[in-house]
Amino acid sequence: MYNFDYEELGLKCGLEIHQQLDTETKLFCRCPSKLQGTREPDFNTMRYMRPVLGEMGTFDKAMLTEYKKGKTIIYEGYNDVICTYELDDTPPFSCNEEARKIALELALLLDANIIEEMHVSRKNYLDGSVPSGFQRTMILGTDGYITLKNGKKIRIAILSLEEEAARKIKTENKTNFYRLDRLGIPLVEVTTQPDINTPEECRECAERIGLLLWMTNVKKVLGSIRQDINVSIKTGTRIEIKGVQKLSWIPLLINHEISRQVNLIEIREELKNRKVSEDDIPQEPVDLTKLMGKTGSKSIATGIKSGKKLYGLNFKGFKGIFGKELMEDYRFGTEVSSKVKIISGLKGIIHSDEKLENYNFSPDEIKKIQNKLNSKEKDCFVLVLGTIKELKKAADVIINRIKYTFKGVPPETRKALDSGNTEFLRELHGGARLYPDTDSQAIMNPVEETKQIQKTLPNYPWDIIEDYAKKYKVEQSSIKKLIFKGKLSLFDSLIDIYPARPSIIITTLLNTAKAIKREGKIIENITNNDYKKIFLELKNKKIGKEAIEDIMRLKTDSPNLTIEQSIENLNLESLSIEDLKIIINEIVNKSSKIIKERGMRSMGPLMGEVMKKVRGKIDGEIVSKELKIQISNKLKEMK
Amino acid sequence: MEDKLKGYKGKSIDILKKYTIEIWDIIQITTKKTQLEGIVMPRSEYSAPDFIEIKLENNYNVGINVSEIQNIKKIGKREANYKLPEKEFPYNKDLPKLQLLGTGGTVASRLDYTTGAVIPSFTPSELFSSVPELAEICNLDCEIVFEILSENMKFEYWQKLAEKIKQAVNSGFVGVVIGHGTDTMSFTSAALSFMLKDLSIPVVLTGSQRSSDRPSSDAALNLINAATVATSDIAEVVVTMLGSPSHDYGLIHRGTIVRKMHSSVRDTFRTIDDIPLGMVRDRKIKTFKNNYRKRSRSETIINTNFEKKVALIYSYPGMENEQIEFYIDKGYKGIVFAGTGLGHVSTDVYTAIERAIQEGITILMTTQTLHGFVGMNVYSTGRELQHLGVIPGRNLLPEVGYVKLGWVLGQTNDLKEIKELLLTNIAGEFIDREVPIAFNYNIDELLKNKKL
Repeated sequence: MYNFDYEELGLKCGLEIHQQLDTETKLFCRCPSKLQGTREPDFNTMRYMRPVLGEMGTFDKAMLTEYKKGKTIIYEGYNDVICTYELDDTPPFSCNEEARKIALELALLLDANIIEEMHVSRKNYLDGSVPSGFQRTMILGTDGYITLKNGKKIRIAILSLEEEAARKIKTENKTNFYRLDRLGIPLVEVTTQPDINTPEECRECAERIGLLLWMTNVKKVLGSIRQDINVSIKTGTRIEIKGVQKLSWIPLLINHEISRQVNLIEIREELKNRKVSEDDIPQEPVDLTKLMGKTGSKSIATGIKSGKKLYGLNFKGFKGIFGKELMEDYRFGTEVSSKVKIISGLKGIIHSDEKLENYNFSPDEIKKIQNKLNSKEKDCFVLVLGTIKELKKAADVIINRIKYTFKGVPPETRKALDSGNTEFLRELHGGARLYPDTDSQAIMNPVEETKQIQKTLPNYPWDIIEDYAKKYKVEQSSIKKLIFKGKLSLFDSLIDIYPARPSIIITTLLNTAKAIKREGKIIENITNNDYKKIFLELKNKKIGKEAIEDIMRLKTDSPNLTIEQSIENLNLESLSIEDLKIIINEIVNKSSKIIKERGMRSMGPLMGEVMKKVRGKIDGEIVSKELKIQISNKLKEMK
Repeated sequence: MEDKLKGYKGKSIDILKKYTIEIWDIIQITTKKTQLEGIVMPRSEYSAPDFIEIKLENNYNVGINVSEIQNIKKIGKREANYKLPEKEFPYNKDLPKLQLLGTGGTVASRLDYTTGAVIPSFTPSELFSSVPELAEICNLDCEIVFEILSENMKFEYWQKLAEKIKQAVNSGFVGVVIGHGTDTMSFTSAALSFMLKDLSIPVVLTGSQRSSDRPSSDAALNLINAATVATSDIAEVVVTMLGSPSHDYGLIHRGTIVRKMHSSVRDTFRTIDDIPLGMVRDRKIKTFKNNYRKRSRSETIINTNFEKKVALIYSYPGMENEQIEFYIDKGYKGIVFAGTGLGHVSTDVYTAIERAIQEGITILMTTQTLHGFVGMNVYSTGRELQHLGVIPGRNLLPEVGYVKLGWVLGQTNDLKEIKELLLTNIAGEFIDREVPIAFNYNIDELLKNKKL
């Protein structure tokens, strides 16, 4: 779809990867580190956030934008798992040691310089995602690196240990609802330098960091890892893309972003050619309410009737600019309108690069608007409908965004969408929002402890993938999947029990488990110990491999049964070879006709019949071998 | 030199001296493993001795062990120079004129972002910068009376505040707001209640439980609420602070029956033995009771004499005579007991109590249960203590008992008058009857059920 020369564009990407750690309790309080799912909250607490002045006596731009949204925040909590700390009503308790040690192990895996004395900082957020208005964070490692397959080293700038933010539930009428269960779960953030130069490199780097994280004691569930990408091209600017949930999205997101930046630069050049300048941009909108009071456009008329106003803005020389596609299915008009939506809360804008007939404006009305706005053939006008307060914000957003077209790409934080596109999320946070935390004292990473952890570091996952694949004669992708499912250590212990056929273990842990889960069953009912017992029974030939799936299914339905009980319930007591021979003999004797007709090709149907009787009680391969012998004996007999 | 290496000691001071580095220098540190660049930060004097603390370019602070350092290079200097923007507090002739008195504490302070130190911000322009809404409520005149942590309050400060309030009344201010640390706010509110007679305008104490340097601070809302109450007709000394964990409404508490009841939550202040006087929400006041003093033109009289030789003693099992004898020997004039239950102390200390009373020391009994009255006719201990001459302090909170006894002893030396004054309801410190919900009232619930 895109065919960019990344080198010529000067593409630079950096990654920020966030990963929740799997600890019993939270980072700065002793509440359980456990999400409550869809459980109804017990209480609500309402708060407002205010911007605080930064070091230089100014407000951070992103903070102001957030404040201007005028949002009320409701925190939803549970009496049994949320404490006054999460509500910012009690100072922090000591730092979770378990979390600190996991983060230390990760920093060492990234070959980082370990900060011996850590100082907790506050990273301010006004969106309400943290009740205190800031996330507590500390740097644990600096200057590490991760190596890509081709040997290229991507430098790791920092690894920090911090608190997870609250979980956003919904936005209703300018009120953001956050659930506090996720708040405070320990999180590591790994930030790379902008050493990444192609979209594929970025995907690989994210994957490798992810694999490395998942080798340690981190939460291994959907949503426990999140990637943010920083993308810039030489002529553009640094854009932060947040909320990238799947590795496979990364190349598309980057390509879309490159396209957006390239096109915004084209717009800038085009405006230069058209000799349009920033001075042509209006300072104020024009009130069209009176003019359009009796418009044929139903939505506008209803709006005005309910007391809303209609404002117009004319942009000289902008014809076609709003309609220009920046990335797939996203025009410059989309860019302006989504920013208006987010900041002012309005539904969007109308602009004259669109088909105005769709809004049921008559040609005469359009003329009237053009006259009032002094809008000429080569111009583009924009209409917005809303309350005076909303319109004031909206007009500000539009004017400022249009002014930026003369500069190029405005720096901002964008949100990744499923489509591979992105939309405006907030202004890029400046540096002036990281302050020392006055509520806590320095936290130490003792040198001796660091040395101890260094000694017991796991191998690099990509080496493990290669080694295991070779050693156990399985696909590399299977081993990778085991790591991403958090099943590698289970695989290790099962291999110890049942070294004969690694592929059976892999099939069980990946495919069978997935299939059963898909039936809507709770696969978590099967514990690691259950798996160990299953493979022990298999090794002792108490069951055949065909029985595994049935045992697992029964176990998910009746978690209270032991594996032994499950085997008994399923009547899966293993068959001796002697008993098998008798069963096969019976069937072969009954089937002279088909054996006579088809010869050895009768194996298929007869195998099916035998398996009906012995499935799960003995290995299918043994059955097949024995059946083959008996059929050929029978054939010899017949001759 | 000390100051330029603030908080550094041991090996760290040696190495800084060796490379002639001071705090605020921008340096490059080479360690065995890496190179780090940042500003040398002052250190807390209680921190570990062998570390250099720097602020990295990304604003994180980190401590580097001196034994890891191979080289330090100075590459510049950046002095912390923190200044709020100067914005003039706008004057609006239609709005009431309020006096804001600063005493220190969290409400009007902010963080020095470089050092992490808390610095006061109290000029009208500074307040306007951080809480512009105040300009929609009032014209503000600010004065820093003193800058102390509230645990360091003394009766002299209460006296000074009372005088400032008197001046404010005389200068025609419509109300006074006092920014105060929350720890001892209720001591001050009680003291001012006793010291200001026939108060004609509202005097509102407020503070914050989360300092104003954090986005979630309650300071702005408390100031807005306090300013609103200060323009109302409640001419009493009151405390106005948030009434629930939400940033929703503030409660108005009478200054003599209010107490900080939690070490950290926002809605820490509660009226004890009664429901609050009222509430303030969205700049509107709703009163729950009408037995308050109304704004008037009467002359406010101040009576600030105070006897500081008063002790507040918490009763506990195992108390001994010598503890009380210490105060007698040191010339104390009054003792307030925070007694157990209905107002008791161990019979083991009767001897000392007897001696104290014989020597003319006034002993006032309050209860450490905080809620409820002392009831010294119920058990023999109570009756015996009364017989010894201990004065039952009805529903007085121990701290209010302390402040009241200090104030009463400042007025007279006559034992009979002392007792009479102590038992007179001077500033709403006594309640006639305790309504059943007073103990466990939940304002949110009462509001929801429209019971207020």
